[in-house]
Amino acid sequence: MAKEGKHYAKDTEVIKKLENIGSEILKQIEGQKNPTYTMPIRTLGNVFFDQKSGTIKLGNKTSDRQFLNVAHSRKFMQTVLVASEIRKVIEQRATVSIRDLYYALKHTIEGTQENTFEEQGESDPVIEDIEASLDLLREELHLAASSKGIIAGDVQLRDGDDSIDLAKMGSGGWSVPSNVEPENIEFKKVNAEYVLFIEKDAVWRRFNEDQYWKKHKCIILTGRGQPGRGERRLAQRLNKEYDLPLYVLTDADPWGMYIYSVIKQGSISLSYSEEKLATPKAQFLGLTTMDVEKFKIPKEVTIRLNALDVKRLNEMGSYEWFQKKEWKQEFANMKEKAVKLELEALSKKGIRFITEEYVPDKIKNEEFLP
Amino acid sequence: MADEKIAKPKASEEAEKEEKGAKGLTAEEIAKEFREHSVAEFFKKNMQMLGLTGKIKTLTTIVHEYVTNSLDACEESKILPDIEVQLKELGDEYYEVTVKDNGPGLTKETVGKALGKLLAGTKFHRMVQMRGQQGIGAAGCTMLSQITTGKAVQVITGTGKGKPISLDLTIDPKTNEPKMANVQEVAKDFNGTIIRAKFKGVKYVNSEQAPLEYLRRTAIANPHAQITFIEPGGEKIVFKRTYREIPVRPIEMKPHPKGVKVDELSTLAKYSGERKVSSFLKNNFDRFGDKAVEDIAKNVSFDINKDPRQLTWEEAEEVVNQFKKITFIAPRTDGLIPIGEPQIRKSLESIVKPEFISVVTRKPSVYSGGFPFQVEVGIAYGGNAGRMGETSEEGQQQRKIEIMRFANRAPLLFDTGGCAITKAVQSIDWKRYGMKDYENAPLTLFVNLISVHIPYTSAGKQAISDEDEIMEELRLALMDTGRKIFTFIGFQRRLAEKEAKRKMFYKYATEVAIAVAELTHKGKKDIEEKLHALVLKHLKLEEQKEKRQDAKGEMSEEEIEKEYEKRMEREKKENDKKAAKKGGKKAVEEAAEEE
Repeated sequence: MAKEGKHYAKDTEVIKKLENIGSEILKQIEGQKNPTYTMPIRTLGNVFFDQKSGTIKLGNKTSDRQFLNVAHSRKFMQTVLVASEIRKVIEQRATVSIRDLYYALKHTIEGTQENTFEEQGESDPVIEDIEASLDLLREELHLAASSKGIIAGDVQLRDGDDSIDLAKMGSGGWSVPSNVEPENIEFKKVNAEYVLFIEKDAVWRRFNEDQYWKKHKCIILTGRGQPGRGERRLAQRLNKEYDLPLYVLTDADPWGMYIYSVIKQGSISLSYSEEKLATPKAQFLGLTTMDVEKFKIPKEVTIRLNALDVKRLNEMGSYEWFQKKEWKQEFANMKEKAVKLELEALSKKGIRFITEEYVPDKIKNEEFLP
Repeated sequence: MADEKIAKPKASEEAEKEEKGAKGLTAEEIAKEFREHSVAEFFKKNMQMLGLTGKIKTLTTIVHEYVTNSLDACEESKILPDIEVQLKELGDEYYEVTVKDNGPGLTKETVGKALGKLLAGTKFHRMVQMRGQQGIGAAGCTMLSQITTGKAVQVITGTGKGKPISLDLTIDPKTNEPKMANVQEVAKDFNGTIIRAKFKGVKYVNSEQAPLEYLRRTAIANPHAQITFIEPGGEKIVFKRTYREIPVRPIEMKPHPKGVKVDELSTLAKYSGERKVSSFLKNNFDRFGDKAVEDIAKNVSFDINKDPRQLTWEEAEEVVNQFKKITFIAPRTDGLIPIGEPQIRKSLESIVKPEFISVVTRKPSVYSGGFPFQVEVGIAYGGNAGRMGETSEEGQQQRKIEIMRFANRAPLLFDTGGCAITKAVQSIDWKRYGMKDYENAPLTLFVNLISVHIPYTSAGKQAISDEDEIMEELRLALMDTGRKIFTFIGFQRRLAEKEAKRKMFYKYATEVAIAVAELTHKGKKDIEEKLHALVLKHLKLEEQKEKRQDAKGEMSEEEIEKEYEKRMEREKKENDKKAAKKGGKKAVEEAAEEE
């Protein structure tokens, strides 16, 4: 992997920060104090919506993880292990997946039958703790989540040594890498008027097959469900660097709408890096439950809300960033009608209804939810 | 046979009520009935009344009578008892019971008296601590064998003088006299007694109320005895002797005036050798001084210099009424012989095999003003303590609490719920001692009540009546023992917890040391050693903190007593409340509720 000097400088800085974790702990050990690792709390209680940046941000509450605490000891050990392993990865100039890291660290503790990590679910949050406490992006730690998003459009870019033309990716599209930082991905040509962020893979394929991006001069992108960091960062860069509006198309249910909110202002668990991931200018194109009447969508393709949906809807209704009146109306309507709607349900009105009528109409009339 | 009145031996409650309702027979009257009707007839008619209510219980009662006789005989002759009990199944509900001891043996003359004559040797109101007969006595067993099987009881006995003899014994139901047949000399030397008797209508099962459990408990309460049991299946179970000293024989004590009833006084007077009532009182009762004699003389309507044998029922009643008014010194308590703390401990260790034991023998005390008594409590926890409960869904058997009740070392296996010991156990807030669910714990409670006169709830002699003073002593003993053992268990548990913590911290220290060494380019060994030192320091600090809390949390004897008083007060209030409610006086009720 080719690196520029600037890139190496960043790595050196990260390594220094990781080594500092070690020397801080060593200082405590030598002073015969309880070794403690302090990190920001990453729960709803320590998260706020920053009106100015339009993203979710982490508050300044911290918690201590102590070695000499029965409830913390194992996690403390895991934290130091993860820090040490990440440093090794960066020194080797490699990038590994968080699953790789889990396997690299998993071993049986000497003289016991206990493993350092039993499942990836143990190492992932520790990685996030380190990211949050060092105020670093996962990518800066040379860690990648498995990529799953795809993109297509009239865009040319450089990925490392390779030149990629996103208009020539065929039916499969281009797979979005996990690290899309400017050092890795450099845009060469962007010929588009907006970006359409689609929740579902199957729906993205309809748009690609119909050559929607060519006809409407746009970029189509999907995160295949809850989008990863790569897709979100890429959407943000296109929005910021090329001033392209970002429209989000999801199911009309609490889960789809939450995906929109993550794209727009970020998630609670990654709140420490949302300024680098969220796109506050994103707009919600649909679906909404209001569309049912407006587009005369037959009742039989709607789905009744279940108890879990209602619970999630109520939770979301309390989030600070869902307090705009349009969203209150939509939530109220969803609850009142007690229905939800999948993107695929629009096929009832014709296979190309979504690409030829629904989305173009909405964009033309600028019918968005904020 | 002592203070027991055979008029009301071991009866089911109904039988007792029926009997009381009828007349309330005295011993003499019963004896008279024996003579007038056939003894066998009486037996058949009164099986229930004689404690022969259940097939299992009857067998346990028989074993009790023989084993008690053997233990008493051995102790009296200063022999360490070695007793073997064997049960053989001869047919449906048909068993042969063999009890062999190494006691002093019986002579041809005493065999008949001991085993072949109902009511023989009954002394009236003997104030001595003894195991006591629970039902029909050994002669009763002979009679029972005879009327259920028609067979004689076989006895082999050797006294060490001359050849041992073997004989077949029956009782003549008309005359209540022993009849011996096939009296033979036995060639082989033998010291002791073997009794072999057959019974029908009895049944052996392995339950908590069966002979095996009876013998197990007898062995626990008599650590100087070795008891062997051969069950009908042929399996041999040996309860080994754990203490080689024969207990001191309890001293016979004069009755204390506060515990005497009119009929007892009247009977004692009738058999008195004294010439005057005054000297009869002074010489027959404990703590009876000249001052008391003067008081009585002043306050009764008759001349206390009269012949005690001439004392009428009404006069006896006057005397007993005066006893109630006079202050006597509390009775002597030196006649009580407890089993002893080390002995109980050894016994429990050997037979129950628990992890922890705590034993407390309380100082003697007095109930109803006239009866000395003493309480001994042993608590065994963990290991094989407790009894097996039901099997859980996971197929694991949960151990449950086992309460072993004893009166003068004799196990009480029946009427559990009505017994003061059970009530005392239930009344204690075991949670205070760290026992969250004491009923489902591997817990054996050993409680022995010693007294010259055990206050049984009924003639069945299986439950102790909840006299205030007895309840108090039982509770204090249980609390004291409980506090000791559970504090100790808590200490052990903390030690184990501390060790587990140390191991856990050490385990992670190794990994932390490796990672910190890598991050800092320092030596792993040095970091690990420092972490270990840190762990030890931390645990020590924690321990000191706990100790300080413990010092505050632990209850002293005083606190236990205080807690007891508080509880008694609360109970009294509750009782008052109940009483008030019963009375239906609304105002009182409201007042009580406001409390």
